[in-house]
Amino acid sequence: MSYQEKRTLTSMVAGLAVLVSYCIYILNAYHKGWFAPDDMKFCATVMLVFIGIGVAVAVVFQILFHILLSMGVAIRKGDCDDKAIEKEIVSATVEDEMDKLIELKAMKLGFIIAGAGMVAALLAVVLDAPNAVMLNVLFLSMNVGSLAEGALSLYYYRRGVYHA
Amino acid sequence: MPKKLHVTNQIRKLRFFAGEMTQQELAEKTGASRQTIIAVEAGKYSPSLELAFRIAEAFGVPIGEVFGYEEQEDTK
Repeated sequence: MSYQEKRTLTSMVAGLAVLVSYCIYILNAYHKGWFAPDDMKFCATVMLVFIGIGVAVAVVFQILFHILLSMGVAIRKGDCDDKAIEKEIVSATVEDEMDKLIELKAMKLGFIIAGAGMVAALLAVVLDAPNAVMLNVLFLSMNVGSLAEGALSLYYYRRGVYHA
Repeated sequence: MPKKLHVTNQIRKLRFFAGEMTQQELAEKTGASRQTIIAVEAGKYSPSLELAFRIAEAFGVPIGEVFGYEEQEDTK
């Protein structure tokens, strides 16, 4: 598995962990009656908190990932020469045209899902669904879009990517 | 409608004749990642013209000796 695949997988795991935590928290809060279905302020506050947690978790996961990567390289090479480890990591982390193409194609899917979520959220408003539903559809579609983006990147790294 | 073209390459053969040059060495010479070289060699990625020229330059041969194409039958 290449560095890019491992990094994408790490981001996806971090994103999934935060998304699942959010879903558990918000469903629990709803069942316990902590907020009314039309209370947008509560949902918006929880989302902001979880966005912050998401950023922090992503940073921690990436730090841990790079530490483990360095350890893996050191173990594989059988020595702890900092320069040799750094050289190997730098060559593994090169981002080139294929990475950019994969990123662009995957990002397109992410935007499509987020866009579909926006339309679904507007439909929810039109159909008189509670405000909390609209807000959650928006939030979830962005998260799902981000996960789908990662999944598509992994697919392209495995199966190959073609222009057009 | 023109048929789809599949880009073929002779990278594996050229690496062999270049003293069994590793994919990592070729990646370093061309400024691409090893992952990209692996994908190009396996026919899973068609490189840009710029990278194609760099690969040819790394082997010291014209681009036509590295890359070719074959028409693909439409499977639809």
